[in-house]
Amino acid sequence: MHRRPLIIKAVLATTALLVSAIVGTNASLAADSAPLAPYDAKKAGGTVTLVAQAAAGTLDPKVNYTAQFWQLYQASYDGLLTFSYGTGATTFNVVPDLAEALPAVSNGGKTFTFKLRKGIKFSDGKPVTVADVKASFERIFKVSSPTAGSFYNGIVGADVCLKTPATCKLDKGVVVDAATNTVVINIIAPDDAILSKLAVPHAVINPASAPSKDAGTTIIPTTGAYMYKSYDPNKSLVMVRNPYFKEWNHNAQPQGYPDQIIFKFGITPTAQVTAVENNQANWAFDPIPADRLNEIGTKYASQVHINPLTAMWYLPMNVNLAPFNNVKARQAVNYAIDRANMVKIFGGTQLAAPVCSFLPPNFPGHVDYCGYTKGATPAKPAKAWAGPDLELAKKLVKESGTAGQAVGIVVSDDDVNKQMGVYLQSVLNSIGYKATVKPISGNIQFTYIQNTKNKVQISVTQWYQDYPAASDFLDVLLGCASFTPKSDSSINMAGYCNKALDVKMAKAKALGATDPVAANKMWGEIDQEVMADAPVAVAFTPKQLDFISSGTKNYLFSLQYKMFVSQLIVK
Amino acid sequence: MLAFVTRRISAMIFVLVSISILVFLIFFATPGVDPAARIAGRNADQETLAQVRHSFELDKPLPIRYLSMMRHLFVSQDLTSYVNRGAKVIPQLTQAIPATLSLVIGAAIIWLGLGIFFGIKAASSRRKWIDPTIGFLGIIGISLPVYWLGEVVNLFTQAKLHNSVFRWVPQLGYVGITDNPFQWFLHLLFPWLTLAVLYAGIYVRVLRNEIRMVMSEDYIKTERAKGASETRILYKHATRMSLITLVSLFGLDFGSLVGGYALLTEVVFGIQGVGRLTYQSLQNFDLPVIMATVMYASFFVVFMNALVDVLYAVLDPRVRRV
Repeated sequence: MHRRPLIIKAVLATTALLVSAIVGTNASLAADSAPLAPYDAKKAGGTVTLVAQAAAGTLDPKVNYTAQFWQLYQASYDGLLTFSYGTGATTFNVVPDLAEALPAVSNGGKTFTFKLRKGIKFSDGKPVTVADVKASFERIFKVSSPTAGSFYNGIVGADVCLKTPATCKLDKGVVVDAATNTVVINIIAPDDAILSKLAVPHAVINPASAPSKDAGTTIIPTTGAYMYKSYDPNKSLVMVRNPYFKEWNHNAQPQGYPDQIIFKFGITPTAQVTAVENNQANWAFDPIPADRLNEIGTKYASQVHINPLTAMWYLPMNVNLAPFNNVKARQAVNYAIDRANMVKIFGGTQLAAPVCSFLPPNFPGHVDYCGYTKGATPAKPAKAWAGPDLELAKKLVKESGTAGQAVGIVVSDDDVNKQMGVYLQSVLNSIGYKATVKPISGNIQFTYIQNTKNKVQISVTQWYQDYPAASDFLDVLLGCASFTPKSDSSINMAGYCNKALDVKMAKAKALGATDPVAANKMWGEIDQEVMADAPVAVAFTPKQLDFISSGTKNYLFSLQYKMFVSQLIVK
Repeated sequence: MLAFVTRRISAMIFVLVSISILVFLIFFATPGVDPAARIAGRNADQETLAQVRHSFELDKPLPIRYLSMMRHLFVSQDLTSYVNRGAKVIPQLTQAIPATLSLVIGAAIIWLGLGIFFGIKAASSRRKWIDPTIGFLGIIGISLPVYWLGEVVNLFTQAKLHNSVFRWVPQLGYVGITDNPFQWFLHLLFPWLTLAVLYAGIYVRVLRNEIRMVMSEDYIKTERAKGASETRILYKHATRMSLITLVSLFGLDFGSLVGGYALLTEVVFGIQGVGRLTYQSLQNFDLPVIMATVMYASFFVVFMNALVDVLYAVLDPRVRRV
C-alpha cells in the first residue's frame, strides 16, 4: 500500500530535538509478542475522538485502500479470516474470523474449505449467510476494487469478472452450501499469500444486498464490534457499538472499550497536537509537525509511542531511460546516497532507520545485509549500512560513460520530500551528473512517476505493506506484470522486468503455499539478486509515532493495522 | 430599462460559462492530473483502471465530458466527488454555506461597528493625538496577515493559556446555530475577531478620509455659514455622504468573503465553510468540487457586480444608454 501522499508532510529535519526521553519504543518484536488480554467490562464506556486533516475517501471497505480507514475496518468489518489482535509479531498472524477455523487445504493448495460460523448477525439484524459470502467475493469485481486484479485475480472465474464486472458470477470460484454452511474457494494456482489476501478489508463479508457499485458515503452494515452511524467526509465519521455483536473469537474481533468513536476531519496537524494536549482528542492521525516534536518529546513524553513499520522510502530509477539504463549508474546512486542524512531529513533516528535491503526489517524473508556501503559489494555484502562510498560512486559513473548527463528528480512538494530532493540533487551533482529537482503536488506525484509518458528518471516514493508476505514488496513492485508502459497505474516505476527473476519469484510463491520457511529463504536470495541489479535505491524504513492524550490508556500496536482503536480505554 | 437588464444578465451568464470552461480546461491541461488512476486505487489492474475511467466518463472527449459535468452539476444536481467517491458535491456546498455566512456576517458586524465608530472619531476628534493613533492602529490591523494572526490567537487560546484564562474556549471547529446557539457563538468568537481586524483597519481609514474630504466641500461651508451645529454637519451630512462609499466597498468585500475569500480564516480555525472546501478540493485535485465552489464564488461576485450596475442604471439614466 502506498500511503496517502497528503499525510507524509511535516516531519522535518530538526528532530534531533525529538529528545531521547520518548518512551514506548518497541525495538524488538519477538520480545513483546503477546495475545490480547481478556476483556475487562468495568473499563468500557466513553467516547474516543480521533482527529485528522482530511477524510480518506469512500467508506466502502471493498474500495477504500488507505491505512487511515483500514485501521477502523478492523473493529467493524470481518472477513472469513483476519489479522490477530495482540502485540508484536502476533499481529501478523492470520486467524479465523467469520470462519470457524483456518481452511482445510486440498487439491494441491488450490482449494480452501471454510465453515461459516452460525448465529452471527449484521448490524441491521439480518443473519450472515453463505450467500452473503459468495456475493461479497463477486462484489470485489462489481465495484472495481483496486485490488480486484492484483489480489483476487487467482480465484476461478475472476478473469471473466475482471472483463465484465457488472455480470460477475463466481459459481466455480466460490462454491457455497447453505445446508452445511460451508464455503469452498478455488484458485487457479497455489498462492503463498492467499490467506493474507482473504484477511484484508477488501475480502470482508458484506450483506448480499450491498450496492453493486462503490457505496461511497453510504453505510454498509457491519459484523464487528462497531458499526457506522454517519459519515461526512468534510466533518466526521461516527462509529457506535453494533447492537447485534457478540464476541466469537477474542483474537479476531474482540469487544471494544469505547461506546463511541468519532473521527473528526478538517483539523490542521498543529491543531491536532494541541487538541490531544488539551484532552479534546485522544489521538492525532497526521504526522506531528516538526516544530511540535520537541514539545511533545519533553512535556508529553509518556504519551508518545514509537513503533517500527514494515515500509520503505526508496528511489526508483528508470531502467529504460539514460542514464539509469546503465547498471553502473544505478549502483553509483546506491553507493553515493548518505542514508543517515536522509533519515535525519525525515526526522532523526527515532523516526526511521537506514536500510538497503528491499524487504524491510521484521518482514518475512528479510535478511540483514547491505551491498552498497563502504567496503562492501553486492556480491560481498556487509551486515548493515555503515556509510556512503562517494569515491566508488564517482568511479562507477565514469565507467558507465554517463557522466555529465542531465537527471531530473521528481519529488512531492511537501517539506520533507523537497528537502530529500535537494539533498539528492547535491549527491548526484557530486558524482558527475547535472541534476535538477522537480517538485510536484503530493497528490499527483505518485501516479505521475508511474507513467512512462512523463519520462521520469529518478524519484522519491514510499511503499507500505498490504500484508506480511515478501511477494507484496518484490513481486508487486518489481515484477514484469506490474509494469505497463503509458499507464498511470504501473507500480513498477523503475520499469524493471527481469524474466529470470520473475520465474524465480513465481517459484517462491508456489513454494510458500506449502513450505513458507524455505520460501522466505528464497525471497531473501531474490532480494539480494534484485539489488545487485539496483533498479531502485532503498533509503530507510520509517517508524510510526503515535501521540495520545493523557486520559487514554491501553495503547496497543498492530504491525498490520497500527493502533487498535477499539481497544483504547478512556474511562 | 428592460433591454439593459436583459443585456446585463446575458453578459453575466456568458462570464459564468467562460469561467467554468476555463477551470475545466486548466484542470485537464495539468500534467499528470488524470484522476482515473487515483480513483482506481494503488496498483489497480489495467482492466479495473479502464472500468473506472469509463464509469467517470473520463474516456470521452473533452467537450462531452464538460457538458456531462455541467448537466450533473446544474440539471440532475448529482455530481459526485473524484476523491471522496459517492460524496455528492451540492450537499457539501449547501452544508458549507451556513458556516461561511455565520463567520462573515458576524465578522462584518464587528468590523462595521469598529470601522464606523473609530472612523468618525478619527475624522472629528479635536484632540490632536487621536487621529494619528487610530490611523496607526488601523495600519497594524491591515498589516497583520489573517493566517498568522489566527495561528497566534490559537497559540494563546488553545495552547499557552488554555488551562488558565482561556479555559472556556472550545475546541476548533464549527457548531451550527440551530444545534446550540451558545456554542455557535463561542466557537466563532475568535474567528470573527480575527477576520474583523483586517477589515476594520481598512474601513477606519476609508471612512476617515471620506469624511475629511466631504468636510471641505462647499456645501458643508454653506451649512456652517447658515449656522448649523458641528454635530449636525458631521452626522447628517458628512458621515451620511461618506457611508455611500463604504457601502459599495462593503458590498464587494462581503460578496467575495461569502464566495470563499475567508478561506484562510476557515482553514486556521477548522471551520467547515466554503473556503475550506475550496482549499481541500484544490489540494486533492477534486475537479467536481473545485468546479462547484468556483461557480458558486464567481456567481456571487458577478451577481453583485450586475446588481450594482443595475442599481446605477436606476439611479442614473445616462448609464442605460451605454
